[in-house]
Amino acid sequence: MNGQLSEFGAILIVILVGFLPNEVWRVLGVALGRGLDDDSLLMRWIRAVATALLAAVVAHLVLVPSGALVALPLWLRLAAVGSGIAGFLVGRRSVLAGVLTAEVVLVAGAWWLGVGA
Amino acid sequence: MHSPPSIPEAGEAGTPVWFLRGAIASLSAPGFVLLATFLGFGGLLHDLGFPIVAGLISTVLVWALPAQVILVGGLASGSSLPALAIAVCLSGVRLLPMVVSLMPLMRGRRPRLWQELLCAHFVAVTLWAEGFRLLPKVPTAARPAFSVGVGAGLMTTSVIGTAAGFYLTNVLPAPLAVALLLLTPISFTILLVRNAKARVDWLAIVLGAAISPFASYLPGGLDLFWAGVGGGTLAFVIARLPPKRRTGARP
Repeated sequence: MNGQLSEFGAILIVILVGFLPNEVWRVLGVALGRGLDDDSLLMRWIRAVATALLAAVVAHLVLVPSGALVALPLWLRLAAVGSGIAGFLVGRRSVLAGVLTAEVVLVAGAWWLGVGA
Repeated sequence: MHSPPSIPEAGEAGTPVWFLRGAIASLSAPGFVLLATFLGFGGLLHDLGFPIVAGLISTVLVWALPAQVILVGGLASGSSLPALAIAVCLSGVRLLPMVVSLMPLMRGRRPRLWQELLCAHFVAVTLWAEGFRLLPKVPTAARPAFSVGVGAGLMTTSVIGTAAGFYLTNVLPAPLAVALLLLTPISFTILLVRNAKARVDWLAIVLGAAISPFASYLPGGLDLFWAGVGGGTLAFVIARLPPKRRTGARP
């Protein structure tokens, strides 16, 4: 962000750069209806790209965070994410179990290291 | 849940009732997870200095957290707007198969275009999963109203979460404020692991995550684009290799 983004400018960006490019797929989904081959090569490639993109977003947030997460060492951030996956797999694939495990590890680590104290 | 209304086929009079039933059904475990994730998004908004009203509008209009995080995070790291639009667009692709597969369940007996578009807007991973669980128990004619009810309920929860997360970051002690910020990446990670079934999915996760740090050194602010398209394409190609190798190894 160049300086502070104004509320109006941010709303405009949300509509033009967030809402429209994202909503296209929902409208297309309605338009295509059942005429879409979900298993076609094109759709498989598109899904692989979408998955990689989401993984890249996570990696970006964890490896090179821009805000308060910087205060935590990299190992703790990775340990929290790792324990979250473990908690999810052990806790009968419950998303809530995974999230809670990761949060407990992170808070305990941050408290132990005296972050922000 | 099953209470046949006195009016046959749950006509116009039944619509508000089914909308309310949908909204009540949205108060479930997945709804709670959604609240937690959007608390994290609110924290992220505060952390990056993004205006709160625009952030709340993004929850209502974009209604897809990965796209919202890409947008807000990308703006903060100085990505160009066209590059961000492309990244947001690519991240939204997964909504297409969700809409296509859920729409036959959501549309009522006499589908109208505006109704289908409204139902489709609420489709994201939570409604998609909840739709398959809840909708089969709802009479066909009442399904659009019920779907919109569930969607509106989930969205209200998420808007409250976004606002609460934004304001909580100031109030919470440091370790908890940091924990708020981890909610987004951790829930995305678990989502990726949960949805990964085939080899191509795991490859895409590993390659996308591995390329991401290096791609941030590339000029042009297109790092997410390269990590997504590069990692995804590589995963797609590698996943298709083995059958060829097997036939090649045959004596």
